[in-house]
Amino acid sequence: MRRYGWFLGLIFILALILPQVLGEFWVHVAVEILILGIFAVSFNMIFGYMGQLSFGHAAYYGVGAYITGMLMVKASVPLPICLALSMIGAGICALIIGYFCVRLTGIYFAILTMAFGQLIYYIIFKWYSFTRGDDGLQGIIAPPLLFSANAYYYFTLLIAAAALIVMWFISESPFGYTMRAIRDNADRTRFIGINVRKYMLINFVVAGMFAGLAGALWGPFNRSIAPDLCNWHQSGTPVFMTVIGGPFGFLGPMIGSVIYTFLMAFVTGFTEYWPLTIGLVIIFVVLFLPGGVLGFFESRMKGFRSNASKPEETIP
Amino acid sequence: MAEEVILKVEKLNKAFGGLKATNNISYKMTTGEISAIIGPNGAGKSTFFNLLTGYHSVDSGNIFFKGINITNWPPYRITRLGIARAFQVSNIYPRLTTYENVRQAILSQQKKTLDFFTPAHRLAKKETQELLEITGLSQQSDITAGNLSQGDKKRLELAIALGSKPDLVFLDEPTAGMSGEETHETMELVKRLNEEIGLTILFTEHDMSVVFGYARRLTVLHQGTVIAEGTPEEVRTNEEAQRVYLGEET
Repeated sequence: MRRYGWFLGLIFILALILPQVLGEFWVHVAVEILILGIFAVSFNMIFGYMGQLSFGHAAYYGVGAYITGMLMVKASVPLPICLALSMIGAGICALIIGYFCVRLTGIYFAILTMAFGQLIYYIIFKWYSFTRGDDGLQGIIAPPLLFSANAYYYFTLLIAAAALIVMWFISESPFGYTMRAIRDNADRTRFIGINVRKYMLINFVVAGMFAGLAGALWGPFNRSIAPDLCNWHQSGTPVFMTVIGGPFGFLGPMIGSVIYTFLMAFVTGFTEYWPLTIGLVIIFVVLFLPGGVLGFFESRMKGFRSNASKPEETIP
Repeated sequence: MAEEVILKVEKLNKAFGGLKATNNISYKMTTGEISAIIGPNGAGKSTFFNLLTGYHSVDSGNIFFKGINITNWPPYRITRLGIARAFQVSNIYPRLTTYENVRQAILSQQKKTLDFFTPAHRLAKKETQELLEITGLSQQSDITAGNLSQGDKKRLELAIALGSKPDLVFLDEPTAGMSGEETHETMELVKRLNEEIGLTILFTEHDMSVVFGYARRLTVLHQGTVIAEGTPEEVRTNEEAQRVYLGEET
C-alpha cells in the first residue's frame, strides 16, 4: 500500500479539481461517494479485518445521522461539534450492542447485529414525539460557509481523507494486525495472550464511531433524514460496496462506493431497473472477480511485476 | 538450582458426557524439567493440555502454576502468566506471512496490541528476526503462512508458542508430520531451549525414539488415568506401561 502513495496523492489532487469541471449533480454524487465510502470502509473493519459480517451497520450510521440532525435542527449546535457527538453517540450505541454480538461469530453474529439494527430502526420509527418517526427530520441546513455544493464537497473530502487516514493507521497498527489474527484464527489468538472478545468489542465500537461520522455528514448534505437510514437495506449497502470493491485491501470498500454510487446515479437517470442492474453487477463480481475490483487489479499487477523480490504488500 | 515446583496438578477430572477424559490426574513439574506424556490415542493427553491451558473447563481438581491457582482461568490470562502451547495440528494464521505470525505473538507478549497508531512493521523487528532465526524460518519469513510446508508450519507453531516468552511450554506432538531430519532438528532446538534458557517443557509424542531420546521423565496415560511414571528406564520396564502402550511398538 505504501508504494501507492504517489498514486493516492494523484487521486486526492484529482478529487480537489473535480468540482471545477463537473456539474452540480455530479458534485452531489461525489459527496455521496465519500460519505458512503467512509461508511463502507468502517464496515470492512469488521468484515475484512475481523472476519465477521455485520448486517446491522446502518444502526450506527443512522444514530450518527439523527444525533447531528436533531442537534442542528432543535438546538442549532455547530456542525463540527455535532460530528464529534455523533461519533461518540454511535460509539456508545455500538458498545452496548457489540457487548452481546461479540459473544457470537459467523451467521449468529450476522443475525444478531441485524436484529439489533432493526431494533434501533423501530425505536427511531416509533418514537414519534422525539424523532418525528417516519416523517423524518427536515431542514438540516449546513452552515452558510458550507452551503454551496462545492463547499460541502470540500468539507466532506477533508473529513473523509482524515477518517480514512486514521482508519488506515489503525489497520496497520498492532491492533489492526491483532484483528487479522482474530479473523484468521481466533482460538490461536487466545493462546498468545489476547482477550479476543475485548478486542472484538473495541473494534466494533471504533467501526461504529466511523459509521456514525458518515451518517452525521449525510443530514446536512441531504437536508433531511428519515428512519430508513437505519433500515436493513442501508446495512446491505456497505456489504455490496465491499464485495464489489474487494474486502482484502484497505481501499476496496471505497472503490466499491465509487462504482456503486456512480452506477446508481448513472443508471437511475434512464431506467427504473437499478436493483436489477446492481444485482447483475454483483453476480458478475462474485463469479469472475472473487477478490473484488481491487483484488483483481492487485493480482494483475503482481503478474506484471513477477520478478519483484517481495510478494504483494500484506493481504489483510 | 533448587527443585522448585512450577506446575502442580491435583486430582484433575474432566468428563465429556459419560466419557472420563481425565480421571483424578495428579501431576507435578519442577522448573527446568523436560518431560513427556505418552499413551495411546484417546488416552487423554490433548485433553490434559486443554485443561491446563484453560481451553476446556475443569470438572474438579486444581491447577497451580508458580503457586497461583489458575484453575478455569481463561486461556489469555494463563498465557500472560507464562504458559504457552504448540498445537498438534498446526494452528497458525494462514493469511499472514510467517514473519507476521511470529511478530503477532511477540507484540502480544510485549503488551503492544492496544497500540492503534504505530505501524506494526516498525515494532518488534529484532525479536521477530531472532525467533525466526532460532526456529530456522528466516528463509520463509515473507511467505504467506498458509502456503508453508507441513514441517515448516509445525516449526512456525513452535515459534508462535515461544513468542509468548513462556516459562513453561506444552508441545503437543511437536514433530508430527515432519521428516526424520526435521524431527531431529526440532527436538535438538527444544533440547537447547531447555538447557540454555531453562525453559520447562512438557511434550507428547508418538515417536518412541524421540520420547526416550529427549524426555528425562515420562508419564504414561491410559483411559484418562496415570498408569506409570518415572525415568525412561523405569517406564520401559514397567509391565503395565508395556502392556497398554509400549508393547504395541514391537
